[in-house]
Amino acid sequence: MYEEPGCFDPNNSMAEGVYSGFPQAMANNQKQFEENLELSAEELSYHHHNHQEDTSVSAMELELQKYLSFNVENCDNNTYRSHMMQQVVDDRNQLLSYDHSNWNTGDIGFNQDDPQQNGHRSFNINSLPQTPDLLNLFQLPRCSLLPNSSISFANSNHDTTPLGFIEDLPASDSTSVLYDPLFHLNLSPQPPLFRELLPSIPHGYNLPTSRSDANSLFGDERDSNGVKAYQDEDGGMLEFARDMACIVRGSGNGKKKKPFTTERQRREHFNKKYTALRNLLPNPSKIDRASIVGDAIEYTKELLRTVNELKLLVERKRCGRERIKRHKTEDDAVGDVEQSYNGSLRSSWLQRKSKDTEVDVRIIDDEVTIKLVQRKKIDCLLFVSKVLDELQLDPHHVAGGHIGDYYSYLFNTKIYEGSSVYAGAIANKIIEVMDREYAAAAPTSI
Amino acid sequence: MDYKSKNLVAERKRRKKLGDRLLNLRALVPRITNMKKETIIEDAINYIQELQENVKFLTGKLQLLEVEPFSEEEANPKREETNTVEDMKKCGIQENVEVSYMSGNKVQIKIIFEKKRGKFTKLLEAITSHGFQLSDTSMTSSKGATLVSFFAEVTYDGTLAVEETRKSLLQIVRSM
Repeated sequence: MYEEPGCFDPNNSMAEGVYSGFPQAMANNQKQFEENLELSAEELSYHHHNHQEDTSVSAMELELQKYLSFNVENCDNNTYRSHMMQQVVDDRNQLLSYDHSNWNTGDIGFNQDDPQQNGHRSFNINSLPQTPDLLNLFQLPRCSLLPNSSISFANSNHDTTPLGFIEDLPASDSTSVLYDPLFHLNLSPQPPLFRELLPSIPHGYNLPTSRSDANSLFGDERDSNGVKAYQDEDGGMLEFARDMACIVRGSGNGKKKKPFTTERQRREHFNKKYTALRNLLPNPSKIDRASIVGDAIEYTKELLRTVNELKLLVERKRCGRERIKRHKTEDDAVGDVEQSYNGSLRSSWLQRKSKDTEVDVRIIDDEVTIKLVQRKKIDCLLFVSKVLDELQLDPHHVAGGHIGDYYSYLFNTKIYEGSSVYAGAIANKIIEVMDREYAAAAPTSI
Repeated sequence: MDYKSKNLVAERKRRKKLGDRLLNLRALVPRITNMKKETIIEDAINYIQELQENVKFLTGKLQLLEVEPFSEEEANPKREETNTVEDMKKCGIQENVEVSYMSGNKVQIKIIFEKKRGKFTKLLEAITSHGFQLSDTSMTSSKGATLVSFFAEVTYDGTLAVEETRKSLLQIVRSM
C-alpha cells in the first residue's frame, strides 16, 4: 500500500463523488488540469529541495504549498470551475500548454508580467522569495477566492525577492496578505466567487483555516461575515472545499453532510475495516489487503460448508430420535437400528493453522481424514490419539513421522455411530491440544 | 525507463489482483448494497459475522440434542467388539510382537493386537513410557486386528536383547 501525500492529492481526493457533477465536456480539460497539477506538484517538490534552506522561508513554502493544494481542491470542487476552466482554456490556451522546461531556467514567471498587471498588484509574495517560481508552476484557473482574498504568513518577510517584487502590502501584523496566484496569467478580473459563495454558507458554519496557527485563509471573511474558522490538520482545505461543493451542488451527493470530513479519515476508516475483517478470520497470515480478502473468501466458503454440515447433523439427530421413539412406542423388532441417513452425503472440509501446527480435516459421510503437520518438538502421536478417542473417532489407518523439521501425520478415522462431531470441532480440538502440549513441553524441549 | 514500466506493470498487476479478489468476495456475499470497494468489505464483514452466529446457534442446538440419552448407542460398541475377536480367530491372526534392532539406536517393532476402542492409545502410552521415541509410525487395521509398525529410537542405555524387548511388549499388549 502506498502512502498518498498528505497535502497534495488531486487525483485520489477527487475520487468518486466529486467529479460526477462535472459536465463531460470538461473531462478533457480536467485531465489536462490534473496533469498540470501533478506536474506542478513535482516541480514544487523539486524546487522545494533545490532552493536554499531558509527555515522561515521553507516554512512558508510549506504553508504556501498547502494553501495551493487547497486552492486546487477548491477549484476542483467549485462549480465555478467549469466557468473558469472555460475561460482559461479560451483565453489562455497558450498558457495551458506552458512549456515546463522553462521553469528550470530560473526565476522566470513574474518577469514576464505584463504592465497591465499593475492593477492586480494587490498581490504580495515578497514574504516568500521562492514563491514566484512555485506560483508559476501552478497554472491554476483563476478561481481565486476574492480580489481581496488574503493569506497570511507567519513571518512576512519583506526581503527583496529576486524579482524585486514588492507591492501593496496591507498592514500585516495580523495577517491579511493578499495573494492571487494567478495574476501572472493576466486574466481579466473575475467576479469575486467566494464572496458570492460565502453568503450561502450558513452563519456559523465552520471554515477550516489553511494551516498552522497564524494562518488564516479567509481573514477578511472571518471579520466580515463572522464565520468561524477552525484548525484542521492536513486536508482542512479539502474538507472545506468538499463542504462547499455540497452546498453549491445542493442535493447532488445524497448526503447532507459527509461523515468523513477528510480524505485521510476516510482512508483510515477504510483500513480499519480491513483489519476488522482480518480479525474475524481464523488463520490470518499476511497483513496486506489482497491476502486479507483472499483469506476472507476461503473462510466464507468454509463457514458455508460448516453451516451445511451442521444442518445435516441436526437433521439426522432429529430423525434418529424420532425413529427411536417410534421404535419404542411401536414395539417393533429392532431390525435396523442405524440412524436414518439423509439422502445427501455429508461432506465437509476445513483447515486451521496455529503457530506451530497445521490441521486439515476432511469429512465424507462418516469417514474423517486428518492431516497434521507440526514443528517437531514433542511426540504428538500420543496426544492426538487421545484426542481422537475423546472425539469418538476410530482410527483405521495412521501413517506419519519425521519429515525434516516437522512431524507429519495422516489419520484415517471413522466416526463412531451416534456421534455427531463436526469438522470444526475436530480441528479446533486438535489445535487446542497441540498448542497446550507445546506450551507444556517448551521449557523442557531439547 | 525500463524500471519505470516494470514498476507500472507490477503495480497494475497488484491492483488487478486486489480488484479480482474483491469481486470474488462480493460474489460470495448474498446481500450487496453498493458497488464500492468499501461496502464490499463492510458487507463481507457482516455476512461472515452472520455465518458465525449461525454456526454457534447450530452447534448449540446439536449439543442440546446430544444431551438426551440415546439408549441404542450402547448396544453398538459391544457388537463391534465381539465381532473383532471373532474375525481375528477366523483369520488366524494372533496377538504378536516382533522386534528387530537396526543400526545404531533404531529398532523396528511390529505389534498385532485385537482391535478395540482405545487400545491404540493405550499402546502408545505404554510405548512412550518405556522410553521409545517413535520416528516413523504406521497403523492399519483389518479383519478385527490392528497392526502397528513403527521405528523407534531407544533412549535408554541398556541394550535390551531383542527377545526381552519382545516379551515385555507382549506383556503390555496382553494386559491392555
